[in-house]
Amino acid sequence: MTRALPAVPLGEDGQPLFVLPDELAIDTDVARRVIADFIRSQLRQAGFERVVLGLSGGIDSGLVAHLVADAIGPERLHCVLMPHRTSSPASRADAETVVAGLGCSSEIVEISPMVDGFFGFDARPGAAGPEGLEATPLRRGNFGARMRMSVLYDRSVTWGGLVVGTGNKTESLIGYTTLYGDSASAFNPIGDLYKSQVRQLAAAMGVPDGVITKAPSADLWPGQTDEEEAGFSYPELDRLLYWRIDRRRNVDELAAMGFEIAFIARVERLVAASEFKRQMPPVAKLGPRTAGVDYLYPRRRPGSART
Amino acid sequence: MQSRRIALAQLAPALGALEENLARHHELLTEARDHGADLVVFPELGLTGYQLQDLSGDVAIRLDDPRLAALAADTTGCSAIVSFVEESADHRLFIAGALLEDGEVRHVHRKLFLPTYGLFDERRFFAAGDLLRAVPSRLGVGLGLAICEDFWHLPVAELLALDGAQVLVNIAASPGRDLGATNEVGLGTATSWRTLMRAYAQLTTSFVIFVNRVGVEESITFWGGSEVIGPAGDTLLSAPFFDEGLFVCDINLEDIRRERLALPLLRDERPELQVRELERIITERAGIAQDASSEPGGAEGPEVAPELGPGRPAGFTGSAIGHRNTASAHVDAASAHRATATAHRTTASAHRDNASRHVDAASAHLDTASRAEAAGPDAP
Repeated sequence: MTRALPAVPLGEDGQPLFVLPDELAIDTDVARRVIADFIRSQLRQAGFERVVLGLSGGIDSGLVAHLVADAIGPERLHCVLMPHRTSSPASRADAETVVAGLGCSSEIVEISPMVDGFFGFDARPGAAGPEGLEATPLRRGNFGARMRMSVLYDRSVTWGGLVVGTGNKTESLIGYTTLYGDSASAFNPIGDLYKSQVRQLAAAMGVPDGVITKAPSADLWPGQTDEEEAGFSYPELDRLLYWRIDRRRNVDELAAMGFEIAFIARVERLVAASEFKRQMPPVAKLGPRTAGVDYLYPRRRPGSART
Repeated sequence: MQSRRIALAQLAPALGALEENLARHHELLTEARDHGADLVVFPELGLTGYQLQDLSGDVAIRLDDPRLAALAADTTGCSAIVSFVEESADHRLFIAGALLEDGEVRHVHRKLFLPTYGLFDERRFFAAGDLLRAVPSRLGVGLGLAICEDFWHLPVAELLALDGAQVLVNIAASPGRDLGATNEVGLGTATSWRTLMRAYAQLTTSFVIFVNRVGVEESITFWGGSEVIGPAGDTLLSAPFFDEGLFVCDINLEDIRRERLALPLLRDERPELQVRELERIITERAGIAQDASSEPGGAEGPEVAPELGPGRPAGFTGSAIGHRNTASAHVDAASAHRATATAHRTTASAHRDNASRHVDAASAHLDTASRAEAAGPDAP
């Protein structure tokens, strides 16, 4: 016996807020419950009571803010807004809407001086020397993401909370993340949800419509959007990844389902090329017992928790 | 009325904390006895937690461990099933479940089937048990104990029932997964288990008691949903998903007799047929005997016809004798035919998938080839 698919909520214009492929629709009540238990357990097992989160104004971090507030209460959540000079002002406004809606603590840390301090600014070289002034947007974007990580781990100490991750399954699988930047966290509640599922859960959790409907962007440079940069839409990419990864369909089967060959090939390459981002770095096996190889312990055990 | 009170201890054990979990078991045993429970059932590895990995040896106990005797001492006038890592005299580690009654350890079941695939890695850390026995119990009827994956293998429930069990108990640490919105109960794992429990209860005309743990370890959330199913497949108790608690349910043993007289499935079982056919299959699968039912030219393993045509399902060719006489002509081409048949099946299933596919108009016209390759953060 199966149940009917849930309806996608409508926006003020009467149109569906987002596209939700049938096979990706989840039971949001169950997801909410599992994630709340997960968040509480991660904190308890580590000996923490609070969470620190980097809030960009986008849907991923907005959803995680709601999930954390739902699990442990907004008073135990601290959101850090970390705009760069080139970040979209609308992103900051959206982040502030989320903070106001939740009633959690927040602060703004400008990262421009940190990025400029390295690459230089306005023809004045930074720590990188004159060459740094010519750095590509990609280098600056990755550097900025790692500066944000540094800020969050510092606030982890001052706020006394664990850093929660906000990366989704789609971007993780295609490697659309900065290693040790936005991908760094103590735990991640939405890392097994595709972008379409993030939208579905965000709508169910009451994330503001404007945050749900705007074009997803890493906001690493002005005007950047994920879908334009990558060249495909999230619903279509999510479907392909779902059938390829979760349902183990091979390339021929995917083609028979109607996915374009070039699209399949390109995503195959992205997934394979980013495998390293999803794993701990390999340690050269030299001694009798090596972490991650033949020294295997759960992350938390008696004695693990901060006291 | 032959009523027995069953208490299901749907708890969230602390990982690797044997003493803490022992204390919790003592508390819940006392609470269940205050409720008049005849049988108290704890989940798989309730005394140690599940994702132990290299902690397994640290929390293992021997069957003569005084801490197990102390738990047993709490069972005067009732029965309890508890689960832990058992270390044998020759230092093998087992996932064990013990039936404690009237102060004694009456029976120990060592998990027979250790899942080592997907998210499971049990065989790396544990040895598999070799014995399956129904045992008498204070309930007044035979009891059959199995652990989690044991119930994903068809013979287990049947053997227990044929051996005299009228109450089947499965203790589990089942990780919840697959949140597909069309699942009957919102969780794919739960849907599968609930189907199994009802099937076993009906096919063995026995009570089925399922106790699954809750709580979170690492990435995994255990979903609970413990149940008591009657011999006609009727649901007597469904504990909530994810919530810790002690859930109590009365069962009427007369329901077993009533159902077995009305539906004498166990009477009609043919164990001798199974033994005969299994002996044949075992020797054939081992290559000791020639496969008596395969087609000439067929591949090793399952029975596959050398030639498949439209409308002719794999592995079934109508008159086996007639086909065998003509099959040798196809031998050379057999593997090519099989490849074609596989392709046919693949296409058919792809069509089915396509039928349910959501058409995304917005992305239909996307021209992926014409766009520049993404720079993307950290392009390798």
